[in-house]
Amino acid sequence: MALADYRSDMESCCRCSACKFIPLEKVTGYARANVCPSISRFEFHSYSGGGRMGFGLGLIHGRVEYTPKTAEVIYNCHLCGACDVSCKYAMEFDVLEPLYAMREECAKHGQSVPVWDGLVAGLAKGAPLVLEPETAEDDWFADLPVADAAERGAAACPSAVLYHAGCLARCTRAAGRTAAAAVTLLARAGLKVAVDKQAESCCGGRAYEMGYRAQALARARENVARFAELGIMELVTGCAHCYQYFKVLYPKLGVEHGLKVFHITEYLWTLVEQGRLSPTRPVKLRVTYHDPCHLGRLSEPWIPWQGVQRMRHMRVYDPPRVLRRGTYGVYEPPRRLLESIPGVRLVEMARSKEYAWCCGAGGGVRETNPEFAAFTAAERLAEAQDTGAEAVVTACPHCVRNLMEPGGLVSAGASAESRIRVYDLVELLGESMSGGA
Amino acid sequence: MTLTKEQYRALAAVVGGEHLSDDPVDLDAWAWRSGQAAMAQDFKPRFEAIVMPACTEEVQALVRLCNKFGLKFKASSTGWGSYCDPGGPGCIMLDLRRMDRILEINEENMYAVVEPYVIHAQLQAELMKRGLCCNVNGAGGNTSALPLAAHEGIGHMSASCGIGERNLLACEWVTPAGEVVRLGSLGSLGEWFCGDGPGPSLRGVMRGNVVPLGGLGVYTKAAVKVYHWPGPPSVELKGCSPHYAPVKLPPHFLLRYLSWPAEEGREAGIRRLGESEICFGVMGFNANMMAANVATNNEEELRLTEEYSKQIVGPGVCLVIAGNSARDFEYKRRVLELIVQETGATSLKAVEEGEVHDAFVWRFIRVTASIRETMRATGVFGGEVFGTDSYLVQSNFIQHSRKDKAELVARGLVYPDNTDPFITSLEQGQLTHSEVLLRWTPDPEVAQAAAEYVAKANRNAVEGHYGLPHHLWGDPQHDFFGPHTCNYTHWLRKIKKAYDPNGVAESTHHITAAE
Ligand SMILES: Cc1cc2nc3c(=O)[nH]c(=O)nc-3n(C[C@H](O)[C@H](O)[C@H](O)COP(=O)(O)OP(=O)(O)OC[C@H]3O[C@@H](n4cnc5c(N)ncnc54)[C@H](O)[C@@H]3O)c2cc1C
Repeated sequence: MALADYRSDMESCCRCSACKFIPLEKVTGYARANVCPSISRFEFHSYSGGGRMGFGLGLIHGRVEYTPKTAEVIYNCHLCGACDVSCKYAMEFDVLEPLYAMREECAKHGQSVPVWDGLVAGLAKGAPLVLEPETAEDDWFADLPVADAAERGAAACPSAVLYHAGCLARCTRAAGRTAAAAVTLLARAGLKVAVDKQAESCCGGRAYEMGYRAQALARARENVARFAELGIMELVTGCAHCYQYFKVLYPKLGVEHGLKVFHITEYLWTLVEQGRLSPTRPVKLRVTYHDPCHLGRLSEPWIPWQGVQRMRHMRVYDPPRVLRRGTYGVYEPPRRLLESIPGVRLVEMARSKEYAWCCGAGGGVRETNPEFAAFTAAERLAEAQDTGAEAVVTACPHCVRNLMEPGGLVSAGASAESRIRVYDLVELLGESMSGGA
Repeated sequence: MTLTKEQYRALAAVVGGEHLSDDPVDLDAWAWRSGQAAMAQDFKPRFEAIVMPACTEEVQALVRLCNKFGLKFKASSTGWGSYCDPGGPGCIMLDLRRMDRILEINEENMYAVVEPYVIHAQLQAELMKRGLCCNVNGAGGNTSALPLAAHEGIGHMSASCGIGERNLLACEWVTPAGEVVRLGSLGSLGEWFCGDGPGPSLRGVMRGNVVPLGGLGVYTKAAVKVYHWPGPPSVELKGCSPHYAPVKLPPHFLLRYLSWPAEEGREAGIRRLGESEICFGVMGFNANMMAANVATNNEEELRLTEEYSKQIVGPGVCLVIAGNSARDFEYKRRVLELIVQETGATSLKAVEEGEVHDAFVWRFIRVTASIRETMRATGVFGGEVFGTDSYLVQSNFIQHSRKDKAELVARGLVYPDNTDPFITSLEQGQLTHSEVLLRWTPDPEVAQAAAEYVAKANRNAVEGHYGLPHHLWGDPQHDFFGPHTCNYTHWLRKIKKAYDPNGVAESTHHITAAE
């Protein structure tokens, strides 16, 4: 939908500031009450959900133009959706959807971000949307007993399950290792998953978030055609972004695929519950869990709606319009998995689940404004440290990377801001599994 | 008008270039009319610039520059109120977002000192950890805890935790002329415990009936009186937004919604509840507001309004009882039962038990559903805001609105929420406050009708000798009431002139010096 189509939503903003804070019932003190990294960093109201609704209406009315400054405000946002959740505790309109639309308009008006223009240029050929990829000595799946989905089609994976590793696994060693750990765990549980070894392509979702809708749509269509060719029925991914895009964005773009999409943590938790995987080796660690935005509040299924307002004044619709409020994100499976690892003690951060603070990687910010990405990560790491945890565990390679190297500004390992360790949940589970299923 | 280069440079020299903007994108973020008292036009006038000072010294320097350049300024805390908007060109916004510290919580003397951008939700949570509580503005936990930002300072806990004019203790004020004035005990002892001395007391001057809505300078710090909290330091919640509920409601809390067949019943009920001092919180909700509290979306709100309306027999109130001990709670509960019996009240069964009850108690105390009650239905709310007086005065005052609102509904101009006027009890019933909520979709016809509706309420106030409403925003309304109310406008203007000789504190919503 175009920005103008969200006019009624944007007009509903009453400027109450709920979008700047965690849901008010959840405020347990002075500290960590903020939920929006953008206004926390840049301070001006225009950087908040509500402020964006305000100048968004200015854009629609032609009062505000698409200038470099406008683009700067629009792109300095993680699109983490926290504003949307806090607003919808009380209100009845979409905050996040207009933000995507604004970026699209920005791109149309020649205000896209050069670094992203470059990245997206390769998307048609399936190139990964990763800035400065590490040169991989080997593919992440080298030496793994994993089938190539392409070689033998569906026959290679009787379960017709495809493991989609995502761009980061293809371009960075750390994420590649995590992907390898994931398929190893699946294999241990007796699952024959396949990988599209030569032709796995970017899902295109991050291009959509940067405003390149047409390119993302084209990529989505090609990917879905490829999945059909491979004959797969289920798709598992360890990347929270890919997960959200396949599950939510593709249907939103009208690209139906009929696949069951799982995040690796959902899949692994089912296997643990079924007794097909039993973490036995103690991992003595006090950990806190960081909810990736795309796995948490943003992962509710897409609910298409087209209709009209039913009553003149009250915002009720025909047919009834169900808003996505972040209520039904994937919050429990990762936590249950962590708790299934002997020796692991889980402590929650002040902001978690639907009102978790973003890691700083979202919205393309790591590429467009590393300093802001680092700011957001530093806040999250400090919050994690407040819990007394020794490690922060998450379930997305983008989060892992930005928490380990905030904004890409700090070299690998524990970040300069914090001595807390950062793990992908799959790695921890893998450690606990050594020695047999 | 736009700022000259000289003006821009001078402002930037105070706050740093990073904290000043005159870019349309930053200005229009504030210019959308927002949902409060919305009229026909889509946008309010733009500020010339947004400036974000970090401390009193910067505020003072900015105010002095405004005097030098003949620029108007308007301060805001969270910026919710439509009275944060400028009335015309030539005004800069002092967005106080960067002044966000709780400076002190004094448990012995029971006060807290805050800067403007501390919100009630934060202060209340910190207080609860210390066995204390504050009155939370009925607008919600999202509003500034500075006792000079809330319009009246009336809220859900005003029955037991006071109201704005009472809760304001010592404060620091940057006058429109750019002087820093420290009032109350702060002025002589450097301490915050008292608003009236030892030291200069100007509470009546700088606050008055309601706060001056930006028209009299900038309040940079203030102490607010806090009260006893009978609950635990925190309450664990289950569920995901918007479906929160306490895992376990702390003992000795109870919520009831009582209604009576006629206004006389509510009057007797509120008087008896007040005399017995059993209530921790009281709010004069109606069926729709009750439904809005419980419902997590508009569809559900419609359904619940219908359901509750069938059980609510007339004017009502929502109340919370909190016991300091099992015995105290049992006593209060039994007194409540007696009042219910003796005044012939009907209790709304739907909120008496289970998760609906427990969640409602906590939502009520944290004051987190006000946005649902006021803004969710249409995105816009307005209406009449009456004053604080005895129940009888308030109730007589507000009766006209039943008929007048019904007329607006019949003309299709406002949302038919089918509810009674709202009257609530303050300070254990010694005072009451009333409001009428109208919700609508802005268009010129509605704007005109809403203005006429308020004008009628004003005539009614004068003819019935009901006193001043609180919805007195701007010269025309003050000038309407002044001649009927001992010409108070004369004095208000003298104050304005004395403290703001250059007329730089933007006064569209307060009063200007022009006779
Ligand atoms: C839906 C809704 C419900 C409401 N219900 C109630 C209610 O139940 N009880 C009640 O008392 N009020 C109520 N109000 C009015 C309410 O008091 C204000 O909107 C709100 O409390 C003000 O706090 P804020 O942080 O939003 O202040 P703002 O909106 O930022 O400011 C409010 C006014 O005070 C001025 N101001 C703010 N801070 C300063 C400062 N530091 N120095 C000088 N001037 C300043 C501003 O210029 C503005 O005119 C309601 C308002 C709304 C929108």
